Amino acid sequence: MSKFIGIKSLLIVMAVSALNTVYATELTDANAIVSKANLVAYYAGNDGRSEARMLITDAQGREQKRQFTILRRDREEGGEQDFLVVFSRPSDVRNTVFLVAKKPGGDDDRWLYLPGLDLVKRISAGDKRTSFVGSHYFYEDVSGRSITEDSHQLLETSDKYYVIENKPLDPNSAEFSRYIAWINKASFLPEKIEYQDENDKVYRRVEVLASEVIQGHETVTKSQVSDLRSGGTTTLAFRFQHYDLGMDQAVFSERSLRKPPREWLQRGE
Amino acid sequence: MGAKITPRYWLLITILCTFPRYLYAADDWGDDAWGEEEKQGTAIHGFIETAVGDRVSDDTLVDDALSLAEVRARLEAETYQGALRLSGKVDLYADGVERGFDIYLREAVAEFSLTDNVDVRAGHQVLTWGTGDLLFLNDLFAKDWVSFFSGRDDEYLKAPSSSIKVSAYGETANIDFVWTPVFNSDNFISGERFSYFSPQTGTQVAAPSGKIVPDEPSETFSHGEFSARIYGRSHLLGRSSTEWALYGYRGFWKQPNGINSNNQAYFSPLTSLGASLRTNVASGIGHTELAWYNSVDDDGSNPLIPNSQIRFLMGYEQELVPKLTLGVQYYFEHILDYDALSAHDGGSIYRPDEHRELWTMRLSYRALQDNLTFNWFSFYSPTDQDYYHRPSVKYRFNDQVNLTLGGNVFGGKQKQTFFGQFEDASNLYARLRWSY
Repeated sequence: MSKFIGIKSLLIVMAVSALNTVYATELTDANAIVSKANLVAYYAGNDGRSEARMLITDAQGREQKRQFTILRRDREEGGEQDFLVVFSRPSDVRNTVFLVAKKPGGDDDRWLYLPGLDLVKRISAGDKRTSFVGSHYFYEDVSGRSITEDSHQLLETSDKYYVIENKPLDPNSAEFSRYIAWINKASFLPEKIEYQDENDKVYRRVEVLASEVIQGHETVTKSQVSDLRSGGTTTLAFRFQHYDLGMDQAVFSERSLRKPPREWLQRGE
Repeated sequence: MGAKITPRYWLLITILCTFPRYLYAADDWGDDAWGEEEKQGTAIHGFIETAVGDRVSDDTLVDDALSLAEVRARLEAETYQGALRLSGKVDLYADGVERGFDIYLREAVAEFSLTDNVDVRAGHQVLTWGTGDLLFLNDLFAKDWVSFFSGRDDEYLKAPSSSIKVSAYGETANIDFVWTPVFNSDNFISGERFSYFSPQTGTQVAAPSGKIVPDEPSETFSHGEFSARIYGRSHLLGRSSTEWALYGYRGFWKQPNGINSNNQAYFSPLTSLGASLRTNVASGIGHTELAWYNSVDDDGSNPLIPNSQIRFLMGYEQELVPKLTLGVQYYFEHILDYDALSAHDGGSIYRPDEHRELWTMRLSYRALQDNLTFNWFSFYSPTDQDYYHRPSVKYRFNDQVNLTLGGNVFGGKQKQTFFGQFEDASNLYARLRWSY
């Protein structure tokens, strides 16, 4: 009898935990949450393409625009990956190409191709937290900040979000003293991130304005960054996103800087 | 070159036809604009620019006080015919210094792939390789020093050449081979816009009497230029990828610094071999490059032909604080067979030093959301005791309009040194550009 009860309770426990895994297990390990969010935000599929458009608005309401196509390929899930960004607008940056080999835990390799001079320029890995092509986004927002650069702490679990506090392990490596991320419990998409200065004042906010499921991956289609100090904002809209196109590693080479890979840059069907 | 009627009309017609259309197009940011380029088939872009540059001090040998005075209209078109890419860039400009209208073909290329791993780029094109920042060792493609000194956009430093470039890509290494059938020299300082020092007369000279009209190599196959590069990336230092390259060139010195038996300047034959490395070092980028220039016709004893040289470069660039970047380079040219040269040039007081060293510094700072950029580039030679400073400030009013103010400031202890001779060429300039 006692043996039967034992087996029965074991089965119940197993069933419950299985349910939990499938449905709404509340994670409590901040590192696990961040790690999953990182995969959702930056590693969907083995590769991907997206067209992107930025509207940069300064505090006086003056607008600038950027249009580009991003190609990405993961070398390993959650680890090294490559990005190729090809600009089509405005005309003074047209055909400029940006190539990054992202190396979490190390220095990224980064190149810029300037078509007017036929010049392949290597850029130092140091300035990842500076403006991406004049927008309020940083280079690091586009390619993803390595999760090993910060310590993570779960502050709160609400109905919808895991609220995570992130502090840089090396305080001199970033301009923030910490940032709080609201990670959607169902999709694991970081829907809002607020950066705080040393006085705990929020000075920068990145928000997801719209997302949709593309090929089974929750995908941001519109986001916005607000510079709360200057009053400027940049909205970034993505379109024509596709995953798992089967891109080769060779797409992310000097060849593509001088001759962008039209096969992958075109929209396809 | 001269002030003909036809180009003037072309310029006007182009401006009148393109302006209203693209003023409108530039502001269009509706949802359908996502598909614009795809639907259009041919992408048309360009700019209109007006530029003025004025000498800081008088050059008594050159009539014009202005070093730059032009209105320039650029038209760029790019289209794909299947996998074939066609691209053209042409400038129409009115030049107030050379007094006339001119057409300048910047690019006219066809680009296609021969096989999966072989690309061809044929036509009039700008070509660049090597690791130096405004210092070129193994890059023997044509430069336009007149544009560079007068304050035109940096892009114009690299002059186009009519070439065929074949690139083959492999797993561990890639090869570029460039054939320029007709020798394409630098647009060197000939005495027309800027005067220069003549070691023959021992004085500063300028056009018309001092204009350099060199004897060009004949247009035969063997007088074409052949350039090659073998290059790749490997992990020599930790996880960072190190770019390595080997270079070769067969052609002519790009400046007419030989004197032939008719006492005329000419481009003497040159072959060169070299190598370079570039990688992440600390939190910056380090690079080094070496080149051996073999002056084919000279064993060193002919003072009328430049001797063979070894050229060496090393440099480092790093962000000091956010948005402020510092780059430093050290470069030297070592003249080979110097003893033979000094034994045969009659003890010339203008004989170049055996060893010329050069330091460069680039300081760049970005502000106002990258709309304002400061750049300061300096060359300084401790051996020649001369310098060349290139400060500039660029402000981007919006995506269409930008203004650049800058200077080219030369000076030195002696009148015959590389930068010292251009002291009177020192100028300040302004450029206003409207892009479409």
